[in-house]
Amino acid sequence: MPVNATAPPKIVVDRVAKHFPGDAADAPVLADLSMTIAENEFLVLLGRSGCGKTTLLNTIAGLERASSGTVHVDGAPVDRPGQGKGMVFQQGALFPWLTAAGNVAFAARKRLPDARARRARARELLELVGLGGAEDKYPSELSGGMQQRVAIARALALDPEILLMDEPFGALDELTRIEMQQELTRVWQARRKTVVFVTHSIWEGLMLADRIMVMAARPGRIVLERQIAIDRPRRRTDPELIACYEDIWRSLQ
Amino acid sequence: MSTDARLAARYPMLGLLGALALLLAWELAARWLWRDPQVLPSPIQSIQAAARHLTLPEVAEHVGVSVARVVGGFVLAAVSGVALGIACGWYRPLSRLVRPLVELLRPIPPLAWIPMAIIWFGLGEPSKLFVIFLGAFFPIFTNAWRGMRSVPPVLLRAARTMDVDGLALLFRVGIPAAAPDITTGLRVGFGLAFGILVAAELIAAESGMGYLVMQSRQLGELGLAVFGIFLIGVVSLVADMALATGMRRLIRGRGTLS
Amino acid sequence: MSAAEGHRDWRDVVYPLALIGALLAGWEWAATHGYLRPIRFPPPSTLLASLVELVREGFPEGITLGTHFALTMQRILAGFALAVALAVPLGLAIGWYPLLDRLTESVIAFCRSVATLSLLPLAIVWFGTGEGSKVFLIGYGCFWVMLANTVAAVRQVDPLLVRAASTMDTGPAEMFVRVVLPAVLPRLFAGARIALGVGFMVIVGAEMIGTIHGLGALIMEARTFYRSDITVVGMIVIGGLGFAITAAMQRLERLLLPWQAPVDGAR
Ligand SMILES: Nc1ncnc2c1ncn2[C@@H]1O[C@H](COP(=O)(O)OP(=O)(O)O)[C@@H](O)[C@H]1O
Ligand SMILES: [Mg+2]
Repeated sequence: MPVNATAPPKIVVDRVAKHFPGDAADAPVLADLSMTIAENEFLVLLGRSGCGKTTLLNTIAGLERASSGTVHVDGAPVDRPGQGKGMVFQQGALFPWLTAAGNVAFAARKRLPDARARRARARELLELVGLGGAEDKYPSELSGGMQQRVAIARALALDPEILLMDEPFGALDELTRIEMQQELTRVWQARRKTVVFVTHSIWEGLMLADRIMVMAARPGRIVLERQIAIDRPRRRTDPELIACYEDIWRSLQ
Repeated sequence: MSTDARLAARYPMLGLLGALALLLAWELAARWLWRDPQVLPSPIQSIQAAARHLTLPEVAEHVGVSVARVVGGFVLAAVSGVALGIACGWYRPLSRLVRPLVELLRPIPPLAWIPMAIIWFGLGEPSKLFVIFLGAFFPIFTNAWRGMRSVPPVLLRAARTMDVDGLALLFRVGIPAAAPDITTGLRVGFGLAFGILVAAELIAAESGMGYLVMQSRQLGELGLAVFGIFLIGVVSLVADMALATGMRRLIRGRGTLS
Repeated sequence: MSAAEGHRDWRDVVYPLALIGALLAGWEWAATHGYLRPIRFPPPSTLLASLVELVREGFPEGITLGTHFALTMQRILAGFALAVALAVPLGLAIGWYPLLDRLTESVIAFCRSVATLSLLPLAIVWFGTGEGSKVFLIGYGCFWVMLANTVAAVRQVDPLLVRAASTMDTGPAEMFVRVVLPAVLPRLFAGARIALGVGFMVIVGAEMIGTIHGLGALIMEARTFYRSDITVVGMIVIGGLGFAITAAMQRLERLLLPWQAPVDGAR
């Protein structure tokens, strides 16, 4: 894979634990979790609902503070969101008062001070996610899948070095989902970003990842780690992928 | 927003503290700042003024008369508003006839009916009940109607597949599903009934809390007005809480809300 | 709501019109044939004549409907505008700081449950019997409704939107102007709609005492002179005014907040 083994890691998660105040369960949400993510790596976090994927992603994003342990990006500790870490939320989180283009343009406002350039960029990105023509629609006028695609375009407009994606294709139908996976792979190959991608679909992980980490719940921990060194575009019939699928499925039981 | 949960957990009495601080500031300001009880008497001065003119049984009687009026008007409005609202939400043809009339009358503020209420029912209790009824009726009716209209159709279809239909469908699916809206309407209506009660008593009455407030003018005793204002506030707050608790019990008892 | 009003068919228009027409005709007939006493139920024809009289000559003599109308309108708008101007900034601050919210919560709940008109004696002492006391009463009623709705609006801002903005390098000032403000607008509008309704209710009561000017005074005065026809015309005008204001607010809301359907506020 194009990941350079000698380069310093992009993201380092070091013995992170997390428990929420007032949480009744005795096991913490995350316990003693460590991982290293290389620059330009596409990492997939896989696990059942409620195993702490969102919590981990939020902690990396700087939206949530770890109870103990640290997260470093480029060697500096993460203490707040933003700063080159773009995020696609599980629920879309679009601003309902802005149009699709307005939402995307909002993210681009710091990079592109000129309103016309911003507008053009928004149009281009919406085109990229297959929403050409929906620029002037408000989120309430879009289906769940379309909203999710606007959210992706918005994260791309930020042009962040790190892209954190929380089940971004969860609301999409199977066909659109496959198309979006191919699209994301293309964008990632062209733009070279470090991606942390959360999903609970094994096949989605296999199609996208350089490396898959499988999480288990309470305490949230890594139970399996797999390098997927298969060239893209990948085919579901690839025997190596199918073998991987079996391993992951077993680790989730 | 989690700051809030933490605040609530650590200092449950913050709300009371704020209210007490305000009362204390008022008391001190009235005594040291403007000093004139004819401008704004302090809380303690107001209570003293009330004690000078009223005995406890008299206060209780004023409260009782007012509460009886509110409850009377409210019960009338609740029974007719809920029944009519449910019927209109369930039977579209009825709704076509009733709703336009309701919508036509709704924009007229309840207090504007007072003169006609006096012409129709005289100066006694019925005219007050009528005005209070009007004030509470509209939100109760509308919420019940809207609640019935917004029962998810899929719920009704699911029930039909289980051979529930006709009145059973209405009583076992429709009304329980609309219950939250209906209770909202009842609470709003009750609050309005209280506001209107006072107005009705201000304008034409010889008893009740609103009358008490107006009497202060004749006696030239502002403290009595402040006392009456507080009395009204406290009674309506307590009554609202009682209603809310009662309705929560009722709904939970039937098992319609989780 | 939209499901109920989404598809209109001809019956939704014809039935009500027919019913109202029939009621008016029956009322007219019953009143002119002695089945209803005109003093209690002035028939539509009389109402029409009274309306003309009110517009031309006025009641009491010389104070035309236009004058009453303008005065009432002026009082409502002044009180409402004052209340909004004070309540919105204050409510934004209270909603933004949880500690402030906790401290003021019970005070706001209590002041809202105080019946506005019971403040009349205080208002008269402070502002006299003229315009001041009426504007004060309307202002009081509108203020607490507006304040409670503004606080609730800020508290209800979806934290997810704030988080999303924070991942896009949004500082505190920008967060307030570009995220919190637009997020609270719908609820502010809902609050304003309800506040206006409250102002409407208060004005009628406030004008019934110690004045002969304004629509509330008109309907009360007319009764003491046994002119129930004028009372009813006054009621219809008040209702029409209320309806028009509500409709205008909704129109404005749809214009200014094109992204969403109106939300319900709390009284
Ligand atoms: N704010 C919170 N307060 C208390 N518990 C939480 C909170 N957020 C998440 N949790 C708990 O943490 C666990 C993991 O949640 P989450 O990270 O959302 O899982 P996932 O994204 O993998 O579905 C769940 O058991 C959930 O109930
Ligand atoms: Mg999640």
